[in-house]
Amino acid sequence: MKMNFDERSAYEKMKSGVLTSTGFLGHDTRPLTDIIAADEELFKALGLDFDQVADRLQELAARGAEGLGEPITVDGLYLVKSDEARGRLPCPYGDGLYHKNSVSVERGDDRIIYSDLSLHLLRVHHFCQGQGSPFRLDPVVLKRICF
Amino acid sequence: MNPLLLGPLVVALISSILALIISITDRIVNDYGEVTIDINGGKKVLTVKGGSPLLGTLAFQNIFVPSACGGRGSCGACKVQVLSDVGPHLPTELPYMNPEEVARNVRLSCQVKVKQNIAIELPEALFNVRKFKTTVERLRNVTYDIKEVYLRLSDEAIAAGGISFTPGQYAQLVVPPYGDLKESIQRAYSMSSTPQDKEHIELLVRLVPGGIATTWVHQYLKEGDTVEVVGPFGEFGVRDTDAVMVFVAGGSGMAPFKSMLNHMAQTGQWTNREIWYFFGARSKRDMFYLDEMADLATRFPNFHFVPALSEPKPEDEWNGPVGLITNVLDSYFKEKISKDKPMEGYLCGSPGMIDACVKVMTANGIGQDKIYFDKFA
Repeated sequence: MKMNFDERSAYEKMKSGVLTSTGFLGHDTRPLTDIIAADEELFKALGLDFDQVADRLQELAARGAEGLGEPITVDGLYLVKSDEARGRLPCPYGDGLYHKNSVSVERGDDRIIYSDLSLHLLRVHHFCQGQGSPFRLDPVVLKRICF
Repeated sequence: MNPLLLGPLVVALISSILALIISITDRIVNDYGEVTIDINGGKKVLTVKGGSPLLGTLAFQNIFVPSACGGRGSCGACKVQVLSDVGPHLPTELPYMNPEEVARNVRLSCQVKVKQNIAIELPEALFNVRKFKTTVERLRNVTYDIKEVYLRLSDEAIAAGGISFTPGQYAQLVVPPYGDLKESIQRAYSMSSTPQDKEHIELLVRLVPGGIATTWVHQYLKEGDTVEVVGPFGEFGVRDTDAVMVFVAGGSGMAPFKSMLNHMAQTGQWTNREIWYFFGARSKRDMFYLDEMADLATRFPNFHFVPALSEPKPEDEWNGPVGLITNVLDSYFKEKISKDKPMEGYLCGSPGMIDACVKVMTANGIGQDKIYFDKFA
């Protein structure tokens, strides 16, 4: 699927070393539109809703923030660690600026890492990040972790 | 001549001529000549070559405005008030500005080009900021995710007097291009060394998943490597009063307090003041410098160190306070810290941790204006 100008511009900013060291694309070589389309299909097949998942992750992040920077057990199921760093990160699509943070959520053998920017990308742009990105929110893992 | 060769040759010739025209035009059109930068109403006047961004132009003159992204307009840290007209704010600047800053013509110095004489306002402390060449003398894991980075200044820097700073200030580590990082960036870390050791800078760096600088420190940096550091920056530090000091930190937030406490041990300053230091971690593997702090507490009866674990493991065999550091802090305020003397709060950590601690401190009698902090964000 071809990318329009805005998508191409966002795609360039998502490459490693531009906004973050590892970027947002991992080792995924597919165009941005294809990554998003594939994950949207997977979300549908799994019965997931982007807003619903983003809400749940936001809630876990808020609970993790109660650990004041140290890992904290949430609901007896999750180990949540909320980190914050100096500075802010712009959204690659150019529609917002987000504090640099990272929230790691572990449930059993599954672990995801996300940030305020990841949640914005998920909720607004339906972008779960490319395969191999450390911040990828894989729909299958999301389903196991969130519900 | 072979027509197959002629085509590419003609194209190459035309391209070369066009490149030459562009280059000559660029030199004529973009030659701003020498311009002056007036800093703080004539306190410093620099004559510089025009045409480059203000941030880089100042750095070339050894005036270092804090910046984290290396001038790419993505961190919003390099704010400078510009008193002369340099045109309207750019779309790349506005997301980082509040209306009051826009009204005062605060600009991102990496986005403003010096094309004519300009006047700016800078905090005078920035005149003392220098760029140091250093060598990594020691790298030590103090926990599984926090490294102690001990840097030795170059012989030239030491001969010039080394680094001067006050405990609590921070420095910016210059991260060179590595892996996929194509341009150098800078990241700020509180110094954990003391001002008495003018030949070294020590930093505590906690690994942040996906973090450019922390990944570099934890996975690429080696002893013997050369590293550039810019500093000192910041206004966080001990106030000159007799008030009881209440320090709270977690993780790498230990750094400024280690500097303050070792400064106290080396100089005898503040030893007459009561100091309470609350340090939070989840389990024992996240805790560090316990022996050093216990030693200070033994030597200085007015210093009380309170390490607390939020979720100790059975194997930790932890006998100290358990709970979130805010809860431990609150219980100590109610049961152990005398409120006969005025108190001051000193905090270093994430914005969430600081906000939570400020609530506990204000609820226990410390005025908001007596709480000082170094927010990571």
